Amino acid sequence: MNLISSWHCFKGILVREFLRFVQQRSRFLSALVRPLLWLVVFAAGFRAALGISIIQPYDTYITYETYIAPGLCCMILLFNGMQSSLSMVYDREMGSMRVLLMSPLPRPYLLLCKMTATALISLTQVYAFLAIALLVEVEPPLLGYLYVLPALLLVALLLSSLGLFLSTRIRQLENFAGVMNFVIFPMFFLSSALYPLWKMQEASEWLYWICMINPFTHAVELVRYALYLKLNSDALIITAGTTLLFTLLAVTGFRPQKNSR
Amino acid sequence: MSISVDSISFRYGPRQALQDISFTLNRGGFHGLLGPNGAGKSTLFSLITRLNALQQGDIRIDDASIRRQPASLMRRIGVVFQQSTLDLDLTVAQNLLYHASLHGISSRDARQRIDTELQRMEMSDRAHDKVRALNGGHRRRVEIARALLHRPEILLLDEPTVGLDPQTRRSLNHHVRKLCEEENLTVLWATHLMEEINEDDSIILLHKGCLLVDDRAATLLSLSGQNTISDAFHHLTTLPQQESV
Amino acid sequence: MKLKHLLTPLASAILLATTCAQAELAYVSNEKDDTISIIDLETMDVTETLDVGERPRGILFSKDYSKLYICASDSDTVQVMDLATKTIIKELPSGEDPEQFALHPNDRHLYISNEDDALVTIVDTETSEVLAQIDVGVEPEGMAVSPDGKIAVNTSETTNMVHWIDTTTYQLVDNTLVDQRPRHVEFSKDSSVLWASSEIGGTVSVIDVASRQIMKKISFEIKGVHRDKIQPVGVKLSDNGKYAFVALGPANHVAVIDAKTHEVVDYILVGRRVWHMDFNHDQSLLLTTNGISGDVSVIDMDKMKAVKSIKVGRYPWGVKVKP
Repeated sequence: MNLISSWHCFKGILVREFLRFVQQRSRFLSALVRPLLWLVVFAAGFRAALGISIIQPYDTYITYETYIAPGLCCMILLFNGMQSSLSMVYDREMGSMRVLLMSPLPRPYLLLCKMTATALISLTQVYAFLAIALLVEVEPPLLGYLYVLPALLLVALLLSSLGLFLSTRIRQLENFAGVMNFVIFPMFFLSSALYPLWKMQEASEWLYWICMINPFTHAVELVRYALYLKLNSDALIITAGTTLLFTLLAVTGFRPQKNSR
Repeated sequence: MSISVDSISFRYGPRQALQDISFTLNRGGFHGLLGPNGAGKSTLFSLITRLNALQQGDIRIDDASIRRQPASLMRRIGVVFQQSTLDLDLTVAQNLLYHASLHGISSRDARQRIDTELQRMEMSDRAHDKVRALNGGHRRRVEIARALLHRPEILLLDEPTVGLDPQTRRSLNHHVRKLCEEENLTVLWATHLMEEINEDDSIILLHKGCLLVDDRAATLLSLSGQNTISDAFHHLTTLPQQESV
Repeated sequence: MKLKHLLTPLASAILLATTCAQAELAYVSNEKDDTISIIDLETMDVTETLDVGERPRGILFSKDYSKLYICASDSDTVQVMDLATKTIIKELPSGEDPEQFALHPNDRHLYISNEDDALVTIVDTETSEVLAQIDVGVEPEGMAVSPDGKIAVNTSETTNMVHWIDTTTYQLVDNTLVDQRPRHVEFSKDSSVLWASSEIGGTVSVIDVASRQIMKKISFEIKGVHRDKIQPVGVKLSDNGKYAFVALGPANHVAVIDAKTHEVVDYILVGRRVWHMDFNHDQSLLLTTNGISGDVSVIDMDKMKAVKSIKVGRYPWGVKVKP
């Protein structure tokens, strides 16, 4: 595998993802509606106008909107990661996977390119979401938008490698409804995305521990800290570690077609 | 320089899809891969293109084995799948550029090759149309152009004429035969339609996962004692069934 | 130091400026801990905690910032702390349960409200002599002296009145009825307007000092917060005459009011049960005491946002910044 052809390959995959993304503006918008509904409807109904106590990384009291914004950024990445990985494995109608796999380049590299490309495209949705969130006064420091970039990229990779791993290994997750029920919802709700961990601990100790072992919690915290110019090294180590683990499991276990029909 | 399939067997769970298949394609020849639906043609394709992992046997181009040097094989094979694998919302050129990049070809280089291949397929004027706007025959031509972008030695086509009207089928078949002659390309054309096969083509006849015939089409005729390839085909593929009853 | 003599005037000016900035300290009285917390506004950290009398509430500085006066409510005295040594040097006869007080511009006379006795006590800080005790309404609370020194104003929480006192005769000259439970009064810089907050009434009355008539009553509404929780207490006016800030108690917000139009322009989220406030010297920061959450929120005046909340003692009550 030489570097130049690898680079052309990655560029080609990225360009294609981008072109498809531009083609499907309606999908882009609908992917934005989901987190925005949470932000506007859920946060407003939550009656947390009185503010949430100071917790790291915040320096002062924050509105609930401010609290859930990082979790909702990760929610965008969660949905996109699962969706694109699932379609990589199951959506062979377009045969795009076949085209991808006709490349002479190593398959793990192709999968990684594909995941990275979808991750980069997802980032535009996250930034669009953050821009709209300004309207409800979710105002992280300006530099935070830059600091959060690598964190978001890592989280996007984590979630698409997880999606790829799950869809190659667990046959029961054949459709998106299954993934919603058994992966997306539990991961999202049993994390620090909607409620701070101390609140979970107040509610029940075992709930707290489930949140703690959920990698999504650490992904959300990594993004939350980065957005406020802080590094949560525990979250970084856990997120990077699980990304590596799931990527390895996903690419080694990858089969384009299942051996039974 | 040729591709050889060496004692391949493949099973989907309990179902034996291919049983001990071996054959070699001669360089620059037009080969027909025949067999009724379910004979194992698509399985064979999926093994050659690495969509399924080999269970037994090997596939080689010269000394390169698909097990050990898959990249070298992929570089030398161009494939047209049975179902269209074009991105309908992208233009013809965008589809082709994507494929070229997957083979590590720079976009400048790719543009030149795309021009050449589209011209050859008489599709130059459609380069910037969306694939969705093309008819079935034109989409197939684009896929053939795409399969040739990385200049392979072997072109595999899995029932490329499925769903096309007779006239388009003929012209596509004619196109590929011309390529085969002009470019000294080795072609494996899978079909269950006998009118796409000429008497002097080499044919590989699969039936129920077994290799029945690997010879000239003319030999097939004499072997079966029939007058047309179609009759011969029908005779040979129904014969074992009658025997087994 | 020898080095200092070598510095160019410019460098020493910078040095002076930075040492001044570093020296900016916020003093916060912690009602439940019987302490004063000192916050360095450069580092935004509590640098020191001083023990004082029981239940310290209102605090203020002498004009030259050499002394801090502390209403030690449960010790029934006003303590005087020398800020050079940070020790209590004197206790003034304040009358019972002093809560809020105000220092006359002459830097000598302290006007102290005695909550349990329905009195305002005037003490000479130099001689420790009680100059007068004036009968006012029930549960006197808010206390202010006009910047021109002519009038002192007290509010009584149960009588719901603003009492006007002539500072030359020490006589009650007039009363203005305001909404329920007036807690705090603040004069405009030119002494022409008085702002009075009503905790239960949920309003702030803007009163014309000359006629002692209410010009405008401001009420508040925060989306998602029940109106019962909106309890205005502390009021602070910016020196540039642009804004008034009102601490809204258990609503956990500070209201920002256009001081000219008297319209509420914004609400700033701070800690729990916000009561009193003070600016730093150049008025780039506004500090609030948040009783229940036990911290001080720092509001950036440019952004009109709380940027930091700093843990202090239990039930912080008053805050004053020393430049």
